[in-house]
Amino acid sequence: MDSINSSMPRLSLYRPYRSKDYQFIDRTNSEMYTVGGLDIYVHKYLGPILDPEQNNTPGDATLPNYNSTNPLFIEDLLLLENRDRAYDNDVYIMRGVYQQQDIDFDLTQFGLFLNNDTLFITFHYNDMIDTFGRKLMSGDVLEFPNLRDYNPLNTLNPRALPKYYVIQDAAFAGEGFSVTWLPHLWRVKATPMVNAQEYQQIINQPFMPENIWDNGNFYPQGEIVNCGDTYYQASTPVPPGTAIDAINPDTDLPYWTVITNPNTVGDSASTRNKDLAINDALVVQANVDVPYSGYDTTKFYILPTVEGQSAFAGFRADQTTPRVDTTEGGDGTTPQDWGYTLGYMGGDAPTDSTYAPNGLPVTPGVSFPPTPVSGDYCLRLDYFPNRLFRYNGKGWIHISDNIRSELDWGSNNFTQRSSFVNNTYTVPTVDLGNIPSRQSLSKLLEPKADNGDQGGNLPPNPRPPGR
Amino acid sequence: MQQFFYDGQLRRYLEQFARMFSGFQVEYGRNIAGKNDTLVRVPVRYGDASRQAQTIIQDNSANNMPSAPLMTFYISDLSFDRDRMQNPTFVSTTSVRQRTYDSDTDTYETSQSNAFTIERYMPAPYKLTIKLDIWTSNTNQKMQIWEQILPLINPSLEVQTSDSYLDWTSLSIVELESTGWTSRSIPMGTEDAIDISTFTFALPIWLTLPAKVKKLGVVERVIASIFDASGDAINAVTNNDLLLGTRQVFTPYGYQVLLIDGKLQALRKQQTVDELNNQLAPPDSPESNLMWPAVVGLYGTLRPGISVIALLQEDGTEVMGTVAYDPLDDRFMLFTPDTDTIPANTLAPINAVINPLTSGPGEGLPPAAVGQRYLLTENIGSFVGPYDSAWAGSAGGRLVAVANDIIEYMGSFWQVVYNSRSDKFPVDPPVPYGEQPVIDPSVQYVTNMTTSIQYKWTGQSWVKSYQGLYPGGQWRLIL
Repeated sequence: MDSINSSMPRLSLYRPYRSKDYQFIDRTNSEMYTVGGLDIYVHKYLGPILDPEQNNTPGDATLPNYNSTNPLFIEDLLLLENRDRAYDNDVYIMRGVYQQQDIDFDLTQFGLFLNNDTLFITFHYNDMIDTFGRKLMSGDVLEFPNLRDYNPLNTLNPRALPKYYVIQDAAFAGEGFSVTWLPHLWRVKATPMVNAQEYQQIINQPFMPENIWDNGNFYPQGEIVNCGDTYYQASTPVPPGTAIDAINPDTDLPYWTVITNPNTVGDSASTRNKDLAINDALVVQANVDVPYSGYDTTKFYILPTVEGQSAFAGFRADQTTPRVDTTEGGDGTTPQDWGYTLGYMGGDAPTDSTYAPNGLPVTPGVSFPPTPVSGDYCLRLDYFPNRLFRYNGKGWIHISDNIRSELDWGSNNFTQRSSFVNNTYTVPTVDLGNIPSRQSLSKLLEPKADNGDQGGNLPPNPRPPGR
Repeated sequence: MQQFFYDGQLRRYLEQFARMFSGFQVEYGRNIAGKNDTLVRVPVRYGDASRQAQTIIQDNSANNMPSAPLMTFYISDLSFDRDRMQNPTFVSTTSVRQRTYDSDTDTYETSQSNAFTIERYMPAPYKLTIKLDIWTSNTNQKMQIWEQILPLINPSLEVQTSDSYLDWTSLSIVELESTGWTSRSIPMGTEDAIDISTFTFALPIWLTLPAKVKKLGVVERVIASIFDASGDAINAVTNNDLLLGTRQVFTPYGYQVLLIDGKLQALRKQQTVDELNNQLAPPDSPESNLMWPAVVGLYGTLRPGISVIALLQEDGTEVMGTVAYDPLDDRFMLFTPDTDTIPANTLAPINAVINPLTSGPGEGLPPAAVGQRYLLTENIGSFVGPYDSAWAGSAGGRLVAVANDIIEYMGSFWQVVYNSRSDKFPVDPPVPYGEQPVIDPSVQYVTNMTTSIQYKWTGQSWVKSYQGLYPGGQWRLIL
């Protein structure tokens, strides 16, 4: 027995290397995936996007300035994240297998997410390496052609909506180990992709009708075709045999018009545009409700009074009826101020040239009118905010400042937010041209050729006087 | 059934809240110098969408991708704020006057219009808690949003829900109560939930009942039934107390008005007329280019038949009448006097004012008939010598009268029925010729049926009672 045992090899299927057994099992597995799997399109992550302009300029040490695209690189060494990801223009097709499951929509404040919509997909490992060049990894994007939606609610979409998943984790599949103890399958965990910064190269891909231009075809007016990387739309009916850049002899115009901003995946297959439209509607209505800060008193009438008589009380129901021998009204008498409407940020809209009590005529200008009559108003535009004066026969008396402000993001608004944040003005210098008025405190007026991080030689946009 | 009232107060807070956090951007792109980066707006919308609305937003497709970054907000709490409670039964009363609104141009004019008394009930204080969730796809993006928002809130921002001057609930603040950096566990472990940071804001708001506008009801009553409790229309129009301050009284510059034949003409201060008020004859309308619409337009809108002009009399009373523009001539207004404000006639009306020396019955005047009455401007007849046969009557009687007397035909003779020289009436016996007359000291009123002019006996002479010229200060316009 001992001799027999010593002359026979030990019975073991394990091999520390890829033996014939392994290769047999592996080819069998590959064939099973070819036969029973489905095509999955893979958008290969290549690494952080390169800075197109400043490849050789040292920058923030935590934001390395790489000179090549490489998945080994990390874009932000502080936060440890790759935000701006480059994806291969080529799309790889691999066979994979996953378990289909029923899913529910989970309504969150950010939209409907598919509950349990996490796919675990297995790929044949060696086929993956042969096709893809490396293992699938976190950040690679998978596109499932079997999950295309041909019937979304919006029937104007040019194509069926694709279904994207992003790989979160990847490892050898437990079920992919053969009797040789060597793995044959690669298992990835993938979750639905969202329209986010990381996937902009995919999101911004054109999403147009799939219609490759063929010189021999007739195309009706309006037809969209793809020729190379460019989309064209037929501006007139295009007869067969017409070159893509041919000129229509009847109109002296090209048959085809280049579509410069083609519809993108993000336009059709994400909520972004609708989110923005909803936001715009909210802002529009908010602007209708409160077009300017403060209070609109234009609709109110201020009873003119004469010197020494209070104008604050206005005319009330419990007051004695003014008679002809009282001092109400009269030639040349205009309200001396905003009367009973005087208060927190009242008055006309700042853009209203009739910014005066009762909408009375105002002379706007950067100086007082030369021959005023008692009761005249003047709006001095050289004051910030514009200042309203009234001539009382002896001098120009300051009445109010035009401080009601628009509440959008304009640089001319009278808000601190506009003054400090939405500040688009420039400051002229003797050596750097116009530098921005808005500068970060941390890099304020740094003695650098470009005036620190803020830049110089900008188009002039001087700050208006008084601001 | 309680009347429905809904003003969308909470809705406006949410809209303004959305505006407050709209317009922020984040930077996309790999660019060390920060130049030429793509700035991407961060949309803001309500977070508690209905399932159907969200399905529509996502195109009813599981393939439609939610978009990050995104900010959503929702009301997490609305509770009574007992600490801010004030007198809950307080009613604020304020009076305002509007400018005239031109519906053709959709603008306010410079003249005044309606007056209102506004009553506002004390609003109820509430604390509105709104959560702002920020979904970002990476930490850098989150930092960009936080750095843009947080310096603005120190610790609050003002929010305004309307620009109505009388809306005392419109102003509030959005105060940052707490922040949550992330909704994920750190490190994230095996789960890969989306990263949500949360700001919790508190808004001390007021919820209010509708205001009570007093004038509307009063105006409707005036238009529908323009009488006071005593049935006095003019008082109803002019009584300021009755109308709660809705009447407007003006002195249009020093302009004069001239009342002739039921028409009022506006005249400038310096304008003169040919017949003064203390004369019997009505003045002629002088040349003038002053138009009533221009005068009235300085102050408001004339309401034909409702607006009133009051003419101050020497005794302090006023003759009032409703006015309307003369459709044929803008220089005039049609004046319809209120008979209650006109002095009552103390004498029967006369047919005419005549000079008995130049005209007589059948000679420039109608033949004598019973009841004809004339006011004389000259003396006629005497008790001695021949007498004027024109005034003898069928009985051939002698008529002796003096200027300012009123005579009446009694059927066969003319008789002095008002003797301006005596307070005896009728005169019997007549004052002997040549004796000092006794002048009637009492005030008398009589109307000329031919001209409709009422005359007043002042004790010395007949003058026009209320028609004539009223200088500035002796008339007023009540719109």
